[in-house]
Amino acid sequence: MLNFARRYGTLIGFVLILVLFSARLPDTFMTARNWLNITQQLSMLMVVAAGMTIVMVMGDFDLSVGSMASLSGIVAALLFTLGYPIWLALGLALLVGLAGGLFNGVLVALTGILPFVATLATLTMFSGAAFVVSGGKTISGRAIPEAFGNFARDGVALGPVTLPNLTILAAVVVLVVFVLLEQTTFGRRLYAIGGNIEAAHLSGVKVRRLKLIAYALTGFAAALGGLMYASRVASANPTQGSGLMLNAIAAVFLGMTMSEQGEPRILATVIGVLIIGVLDNGLTQMSVDSYVRQILVGAIIVLAVAASSISKSSRR
Amino acid sequence: MLATSLRTLRRGAFIATALAAGSFAGAALAAKVAVITPYLAQPGTQFYVEAFQAVAKDKGWEVNVIDTQGDVAGVISRIEDMVNQKVDAIVINVDPAQVTAGLQAAKDANIPVFGMDAGSDPLLVTNVTSNGYAMAAETSTYVADRIGGKGNVVMFVFDAFPPVQARGVVASAVFGNFPDIKILDKVTPDVSDGGIADSRAKMEAILAANPTAGSISAVWAGWDQPALGALQAIEAAGRQNEGIVITGIDANPQARAEIAKGGNFEASVAQDFKGIGSATADAVARVLGGETLKQHVIYVPTKLVTAANAAQ
Amino acid sequence: MTLLSLEHISKAYAGVPALRDATLSIAAGEIHALMGENGAGKSTLIKILAGVVAPDTASIRIDGSEVGIDSPATAYRLGFRFIHQELNVVPALSVAENIFLGRAYPLRAGVLIDWARLNRVAGDALRKLGIGHIDPGERMARLSLGDQMLVRISSAFLSEAGAPARLYVMDEPTAALTREESARLFAVLREIRASGNSVLYVSHRLDEVMALCDKATVLRDGRTIDTGRIADITHDDLVALMIGRRVEEAYPRPITAPSSEIALAVEGVAGEGLAATSFSVRKGEILGIAGLSGSGQRHLLRLLSGDLPVKTGRLLLDGRPHRPRGPAASWSAGVAYVPRERRSEGLVVSRPIYQNITLPHLGTQSLGGTWLTPRRERRFAVQMGNDVKLRAVGPNQRALELSGGNQQKVVFAKALSGAPRLLLLDEPTRGVDIGAKFDIYSIIRDMAAKGMAVILVSSDLAELLGMCDRIAIMRDGAITEIADAAGLAEDDLLNRCYGRNPSTAEAA
Repeated sequence: MLNFARRYGTLIGFVLILVLFSARLPDTFMTARNWLNITQQLSMLMVVAAGMTIVMVMGDFDLSVGSMASLSGIVAALLFTLGYPIWLALGLALLVGLAGGLFNGVLVALTGILPFVATLATLTMFSGAAFVVSGGKTISGRAIPEAFGNFARDGVALGPVTLPNLTILAAVVVLVVFVLLEQTTFGRRLYAIGGNIEAAHLSGVKVRRLKLIAYALTGFAAALGGLMYASRVASANPTQGSGLMLNAIAAVFLGMTMSEQGEPRILATVIGVLIIGVLDNGLTQMSVDSYVRQILVGAIIVLAVAASSISKSSRR
Repeated sequence: MLATSLRTLRRGAFIATALAAGSFAGAALAAKVAVITPYLAQPGTQFYVEAFQAVAKDKGWEVNVIDTQGDVAGVISRIEDMVNQKVDAIVINVDPAQVTAGLQAAKDANIPVFGMDAGSDPLLVTNVTSNGYAMAAETSTYVADRIGGKGNVVMFVFDAFPPVQARGVVASAVFGNFPDIKILDKVTPDVSDGGIADSRAKMEAILAANPTAGSISAVWAGWDQPALGALQAIEAAGRQNEGIVITGIDANPQARAEIAKGGNFEASVAQDFKGIGSATADAVARVLGGETLKQHVIYVPTKLVTAANAAQ
Repeated sequence: MTLLSLEHISKAYAGVPALRDATLSIAAGEIHALMGENGAGKSTLIKILAGVVAPDTASIRIDGSEVGIDSPATAYRLGFRFIHQELNVVPALSVAENIFLGRAYPLRAGVLIDWARLNRVAGDALRKLGIGHIDPGERMARLSLGDQMLVRISSAFLSEAGAPARLYVMDEPTAALTREESARLFAVLREIRASGNSVLYVSHRLDEVMALCDKATVLRDGRTIDTGRIADITHDDLVALMIGRRVEEAYPRPITAPSSEIALAVEGVAGEGLAATSFSVRKGEILGIAGLSGSGQRHLLRLLSGDLPVKTGRLLLDGRPHRPRGPAASWSAGVAYVPRERRSEGLVVSRPIYQNITLPHLGTQSLGGTWLTPRRERRFAVQMGNDVKLRAVGPNQRALELSGGNQQKVVFAKALSGAPRLLLLDEPTRGVDIGAKFDIYSIIRDMAAKGMAVILVSSDLAELLGMCDRIAIMRDGAITEIADAAGLAEDDLLNRCYGRNPSTAEAA
C-alpha cells in the first residue's frame, strides 16, 4: 500500500488535480481548446525540462539553462537586426546553446568542478553575455521578422483543431529525448553513470565524453526553448528565460517521484511539466491569486518528494 | 447566458433589448475583468492596479489580478486562459507587441483588451497613459521661463527608448522657439548602471569645458536620473550658486527629495498613476456599456512637481 | 552462568519470515560464534539485540530476568556493544572524534570540549587493542581501511561509567583487517572473555571461528539448527550445518593444466602505487596475488584494467602491445575486471540484472552500437546467469534485491560476457557465503579450463592455495617473488608476505 502510494502518489495527485479542475471549470477546462492552450503554454518549459532530464539522469544538473534560453533569444534577435536570414540566425543561436552546454560539460567533466558550482558560474556568465549582447534592452518590434513571430502563433490544421507549432516542436523534442534515453546505448550508459559512476567507469563507460555530450544537449535544448520563447513574444529580452530553470528542475523532480528508483524518466518529466502548467492554467481560470498559486506549486513538489522519501526511509 | 447578453450589448446590436435585459438582471450581473501584468512588484504598477480595483469595486466587477513575475510569455498564456474563461474584458500592462499572440486570441473571441500604460497597438481597444509630449513641454517651458528665455541649456536625452525620445523632440522644439536659448550639448548617458553615475561624469566634463559662471543656464533631462547626476556634478564642482536650473521627468522619490530642498533641481513631472488606473477602469466601463471608443490613446494629465508641492 | 538467553525469536518482513522461533544462549565469559549463510537471519537477530528492529515474538532474559529492548539506548544500557560489518566512519573527523561518535564528548567547564581528554581517552581505547601506531588526533581519512576498522572496533572498548559493557557483538569485524590486525583483535577478545564478559562473534571465516570461539550457534532459514561446543565439532560439520548438506571439498579441482602459451606479459610496468614489475600469466592459468593489505595489489589490477595509466614498461596481450587509455579499451581488448567492492564498484544496483551484465558489452549487445535490443539482452543475460548459477527472479530484477553471493555472480556474469582472455579478480569471495563461494570457484575453474588467464587477488590465503597455480607475493608496490602454489603451506605463504622467507632474503 505504502509502496503503491510512493510509486503512484504523484500520478494520483495529478489525476485529482484534473478531476478538481474539471468539476470546478466544467465548461472550459476539459476542452480541446484549453488543452491546446496548455500544451502551447508549456512547450518552452517542456523543451528545457527535457534537456534538463538528460543531465539529471547522470545525477548532475544544470542551473544555466534559464540564462542560456535568454542568451539564445538575444543572439537570434541581434542577428535579425543585423539582417541575417532567419534560418542562419536561429542556427547560430542554437550553436551558441550547444557551445555553452559543451562549456558546462568541460567544467564538470574535465575540470571536475561540481555541477552546482560550475553551472551557477555559467548561469551568471550567460546572463551577463545576454546583457552585453543586447545592451540590456529588449529587442522587439520591426527588428524581429514577422515570420519568426508568426511561427509561434501558427499551427498545423488537423481537422477541426489546429495543432500549434510550438506544441509540435515540444512533442518532437520529447520524442527525440525519449528515444535517446530509453532506446539507445547512450541513454543506457547515462543511467548507469547516474546509478553508480564508479561502477559505470570501471565497466568501460566513457564517463567524461558522455558528460560532455549530455551537457551540450542540455544547452542545445535550453537554446531551443529560448528561441521558442522569443518567437512567442516576438521579442528578446536578456532576462526572459530566467524563470525556466527552477520550473524545469521542479518538473524533473516531480517526475523522479514517480519512478521506483527515483531516476529521472522523460515521460515522468512530461507529467511533471504538465502538473506545473495545468496548475497555472486551472488556478488562473479559477481566479486564484498568482502568489497563492506559487505556494501551491511549491507545496505540491514538497509533498510529492516527501511522500516518496518518507516511505523509502520507513522501509529501513 | 447573462454574459452572452452582455457581449451582445457590447457589440452594439439590439441595444434597446439588451439594455432591457441588463436592467432586468442587473443586480446579479458581475462583469469579469482580468488584469494581467508581469510587473506587479513595481511601485507604479501597484498604484495603477489599486486605483483600477477601487473603481471596479464601485461597479461591482469581479477582478482577477494576475502577476506573471517578469514572464512576458506567461502574459500570453494567462490571456489565453482568460479568453478561455470568457471574461468580459482584459487589461494588460506590458508592451503589446510582445504579446500579440494573446491579443489575437482575445480578438478572435471578441474580448476587448485595454492597455494600462502599455503602448499603442491596433489589437488594443485603447491604451491609457501619460502624455509624454505634454510632460516634456511642461518642463522645457518651465526652464525657458526660469532663465528668461535666454542662455545655454544642456539636454540629457535617450533616443533608443521611444517614450524618452519623444520627450527630447518636444523639448528641442520648445527651446528652438526661443531665439536666445542655445543648446550647449545633447548628451546620451550610459544607462547600464541606472544612469546617474554616467550622467554625473558627462556633466562634470561639460562643467570643466564651460568654467565661467553663467555659461550654463539650465540642464533639461528627459528623465530624473540624469538630472540627479547633473546635480551631483554641479554640487561637486562648487557651482551650485550660479543659478543653474535643473529639471527632470517622472518625479521619483529621490528627485522629489532634491526638489523639496529648494536647490538647483527645481522641477520634475509626476505621472498620475492612480489616474491612469481609474481612467483605464472608466474606459473599460464605457466599452462594457456599449460605447465604441474613438481614441486609441487616452491621455491622463500629469502634474508639475516643484519645491511648493514636492513633499505631497 | 547464562548471561543472555533469547527464546522464541520470530520476525517477518512484509510476511517473509526472517527468524522463526530462533534460540540463542550465551554464557558469561564466553566467545560465542553465530554462524549461518547470508539470509539465515543473523543480521536480523543482531538488529533485534541492538534495539533497531522490533521482533514479532521474543523472550529475552539477562541474568535470568526478562528484559525488553526497545531502542539502541536500551541496548547500550543493558551493556551491549556493537561493531558492525559496514564501516561507519566520518572521514573528515579525527580518530578520537570517530571513537566518540554518538557518545557525549568530555567537556570542560560544562561547555567547551576537552580535546586533550578526548584524545587521551580515545588513545586508551586504542591501546586496549594494542594499537600504538594510530594517533588519536589524525584525520580518519588518512588512515588505511584496516586501521579505520580498528578505530571503529576500539570505540566499543571506550570505558564509560554508568553502563558497564557485558556483551560485545561483532559482525564480520575482520573483513577489512590484515592477519596481524586480526590477531590483535583476537587477543583483546580473549581478554574480554577472561574478565567474565562475553562476545557474540559473527564471521564467514570458519578458521577464525574454530580458533577463537568456545561455542557456536548455527542458524539456517531463520531457525536455530544447532548449538554446541566448538571443541566437539569439525570444520566440515559446521559447514554442513550451515548449508544443510555436506560439501566434499572447499575448492573444486583443476579441470585442465594451464597451457604453455602466454596470455599476458607484463614487462617492467610501473604506475601509480606500483614499482617496475614483470611477470606473465599463461592461458588457463590462475595466478594468485598475495600480500599484506595495501601492498599494491589493487593498483596492479587497476592498471591492468585500464583505470590507472601505465607510466613505464609495456603490456603484451596475446603477444600484442596493450596500452589501454581507460577501462573501455581494456574491456574491448578482452580484459574483464571484477573489482573489490561489488556494491560501490561492481554494480549499478538500482538497475536490472540484465543491464548490469551487458553494460561493458553494449557495443556488441546492440544494433550498430547505438540501438538497444532489450529482448536480446535479456535472453543473453538469462543464459549468462545460468552459466554462473545465478539465483534471481528474472533478468529484470534489480541487483540491489539480490543477496551478496548472487550480486557477485552478476558481476561475474558481466565479466564473462565478452568471453575475455584475461580475468582480473579482486577479493571475489569477500562477504560471500559458503554455498555461493563454491559456485564462484567453479566458475573460475571453468574459465581457466576454457583458456582464460586469471589473476586472483585475495587476502584469504587458503583460497589462494586452493585455487591458484602460482602465487605472486607483493610488498610495497612490487612483486617480490612468484612461487608455485603446490607444496606451499599457509604459514609459509604468510611468512613470505611478511618478507620472512630465507630463500628470498635479498628481495626483502
